[in-house]
Amino acid sequence: MSAKAARIRKGKTAAMAEVCSVHAGAILFGVPIAHILEIVGSARPQPVPLAPGFIGGLVHYRGDVLTTVSLRHLLGLSPREGPQDILVLESAGGCFGLLVDSVSEVLSVSTADYEPNPSILDERRGALFAGSYKLKNQLLVMLEPERLDPVRLGGSQAA
Amino acid sequence: MDDLTREFLIESQEGLDRMERGLTELEKRPEDTGLLAEIFRSVHTIKGTTGFLGFKRLEKLAHAGENLLGLLRDGKLRADGPIVTGLLKLLDGLRAILKFIEAAGDEGDGSDAELIRVLVELQAPARAGQPVSAAHGAKSVAKSAPASTAGPMTPSVAPASPAAAVANSTAGAAAAPQSEKVAPPATEEAAPLKAEGAKLRPQAVGSAAESTLRVDITLLNRMMNLVGELVLTRNQVLQATAADPNMTPLSRRLDMVTADLRETVMKARMQPVSNIFSKMPRLVRDLTQSLGHRARLEMEGQETELDKSLLEAIKDPLTHAVRNALDHGIEPPEVRVAQGKDAEGVLRLRAAQEGSHVLVEISDDGAGIAVDKVRAKALERGLISAERAAQLGERELLQLIFLPGFSTAAQVTNVSGRGVGMDVVRTNVEKIGGKVEIDSRPGKGTTLRLRIPLTLAIVPALIVRSLKQSFALPQGALSELVHIPPERTATAIEWIENAPLYRLRGRLLPLVFLDGLLMPGRECRLDPSRDNFIAVLDADGRRFGLVVESLADPEEIVVKPLSAVLKDIGLYSGATVLGNADLALILDPTSIALKAGVALDEADDPDCAVEGGEESQETARQEFLLVEASGRRAAVQLADVLRIEQLPLSRIEYIGYRPVLNFAGQLLPVEDAGGVLAGCEGKPDAQVVVVICRDGGRQVAVAVSHVLDVAAGGDLFEAGANLRAESVTLLKDRVTGVVNLVGVERLPAAETAPAALAAAQT
Repeated sequence: MSAKAARIRKGKTAAMAEVCSVHAGAILFGVPIAHILEIVGSARPQPVPLAPGFIGGLVHYRGDVLTTVSLRHLLGLSPREGPQDILVLESAGGCFGLLVDSVSEVLSVSTADYEPNPSILDERRGALFAGSYKLKNQLLVMLEPERLDPVRLGGSQAA
Repeated sequence: MDDLTREFLIESQEGLDRMERGLTELEKRPEDTGLLAEIFRSVHTIKGTTGFLGFKRLEKLAHAGENLLGLLRDGKLRADGPIVTGLLKLLDGLRAILKFIEAAGDEGDGSDAELIRVLVELQAPARAGQPVSAAHGAKSVAKSAPASTAGPMTPSVAPASPAAAVANSTAGAAAAPQSEKVAPPATEEAAPLKAEGAKLRPQAVGSAAESTLRVDITLLNRMMNLVGELVLTRNQVLQATAADPNMTPLSRRLDMVTADLRETVMKARMQPVSNIFSKMPRLVRDLTQSLGHRARLEMEGQETELDKSLLEAIKDPLTHAVRNALDHGIEPPEVRVAQGKDAEGVLRLRAAQEGSHVLVEISDDGAGIAVDKVRAKALERGLISAERAAQLGERELLQLIFLPGFSTAAQVTNVSGRGVGMDVVRTNVEKIGGKVEIDSRPGKGTTLRLRIPLTLAIVPALIVRSLKQSFALPQGALSELVHIPPERTATAIEWIENAPLYRLRGRLLPLVFLDGLLMPGRECRLDPSRDNFIAVLDADGRRFGLVVESLADPEEIVVKPLSAVLKDIGLYSGATVLGNADLALILDPTSIALKAGVALDEADDPDCAVEGGEESQETARQEFLLVEASGRRAAVQLADVLRIEQLPLSRIEYIGYRPVLNFAGQLLPVEDAGGVLAGCEGKPDAQVVVVICRDGGRQVAVAVSHVLDVAAGGDLFEAGANLRAESVTLLKDRVTGVVNLVGVERLPAAETAPAALAAAQT
């Protein structure tokens, strides 16, 4: 979305959006709650030998086996010991889990506070993030399930 | 797409399926008015609804077909070959448009003018070779009822089509009083017609039965998953409440209900084999026409049920097999006649349930497979060595056609007459845990047997551990396990450069270290501080040993698909949730073999050369499973051993004084000559080991204390007599008794056994 578009939106009534905030490393991330099927707390995913690095492992979810994506790995952070929280997300390719350090709270944010990715952001990060919301004391970086889908990540890595 | 259209699509497809069945039947019984009415109705319904939904193209085509069918129904035309061909084309045309609607939501802009023209042409009564049906019908009626005129009689049979069976019977009744004096022939003629009509009806109107419901398959899959989840939760509840006596009745109830629910959901996924068998008459008709062969299709056991997904999976192999049988099995009519056979060949499809498997048999009475040509071909393609080829028996040679690379279409068609893509048939069937067997007699015909497990969702597997993780190995590929105790770790494995090898009964077995495979760069060695295990696998003819850290229990696992990213790794065929709620990746033996570079075994090993078939009798005879029962050693012929199971003593039930085992839904007599069961009396928690053996057609369980080893046995000769001693063998230089399976007392006669079991359980 261009800055102009954002301004136009600002001019109109600012809608509210509900976003689930999660921590990974030092950044506060947000995922629109509409995309979240469930939050699984304190999971210990089973590693998959020889899987691409961004795969966080498998977890048992409602009778199915869910593939998870490690947000820390995508951010280039070292893997974290101990249990982690999982957001079960829905994308075009099916369900997958997003491994995060911890799930925080659901925030109501105003679309008026939205800004697209800054131009100075490194390209690889830019591909992952979907802009940010300006909260009072920090930024909430938005994640879009479609961009984190393991099938898509696998494809882009191969390319 | 709106619900109305979707409903219309499903209904039309069902109608067209019925029409297809009807049309192939019609060729055999062109006068069957009930059949004609049924076909007419399918097309009429489509036409009616399309007008309503606004599918103009479909309506126009259906209308053209309806006109032709109307003439047939009214007896103005007779359904001969060209007409049936035309109607089948109509069917394909209608199907194509329906498919288009399903995919795109509209009819597409193709033109059906050509097809419509054909259909209109077929309506011309003066076509050469078309006897005018009115006269034909009149002849038969005239015979039985000379008093009545042909004209009014014929329509009275035909137009009442929507209730054809009724129409037939009224026609019969009407004819009877008129022709009192010549009554016997009249009723005789009417009877078979009526019977056929009646036989056809339940199938035709089956979908209208009010007690059934159409359920989306994804919903069933979801139910299956949820039941799996419930089973796991139950296991955890049972563990958690084991200590609390107040909870015992509740958890036991939960246990039972869960088991029942799981079985019910499985049953809901079952579909009769007729769903795919019913496609075959058309295939046979089309193929015989294009090949100029003549064949009659006989089908049996269509009501046999299989899991929906398995049914889908065997559709292609079955089609392939039928095509093969017609193309290469059944000879051209003139050849058949010259050989003194009936000009018309017989292709038989048979399905039957056998224990936890469904057997699908495709047999023909054609030329059979010439084993000499198979041998020549295998040699030419370098699949076996010349010495080996000379040793192989007929049965073993036949198995060669399943080798990948044995055939690439045309070449083999000319040579062996069979074998086009047979490896594909086998791969597909084995993928779902099934087996393929072949049997052929030159000049007499060929029989192909597909043995399919009842459900796909559940696969028996051995759980192994490596890298502190559990992995599941499908039992189908597992041929044996080798235990290497700590003191032997240093010497057990031999190396050529960096290739680890194990001497298994005198032959070198290439080894793959599971931990090394999964963690490249890890040093491959046996840990001398603990036990090590080698799982000997046979993956499509690639034989190798997989070295694992430890073995857990065999388990029936529920296979869960993996996401595409993980499937691409190529080592795992799925994942599963174990009884203790752990996750395990399911290893794919074939991919592991390929990844590790294990080549197809040189066919000089009898076990591998005949893969897919029975082991060579001579070698198998010599090998025994050495067991110990209450301190005494005994041997069971390895070829007879199906499974070794460890069970709680409570699983052994009694019919009178006779111990029996209810294993995988089958009742097995338990042989307890060693007194193992008697020795465990009063110890309800005791575990017993049973060796499940094959004795001819039945299965027998032998209770033992331990299984010791597999060893080659030597014959013993009585001194001076030079007669081979029966029932004893020389194992590890000790004289050992061989368990006489034939001697195990039979259970009460077949029909009383289940009742007795029920009695024993209650």
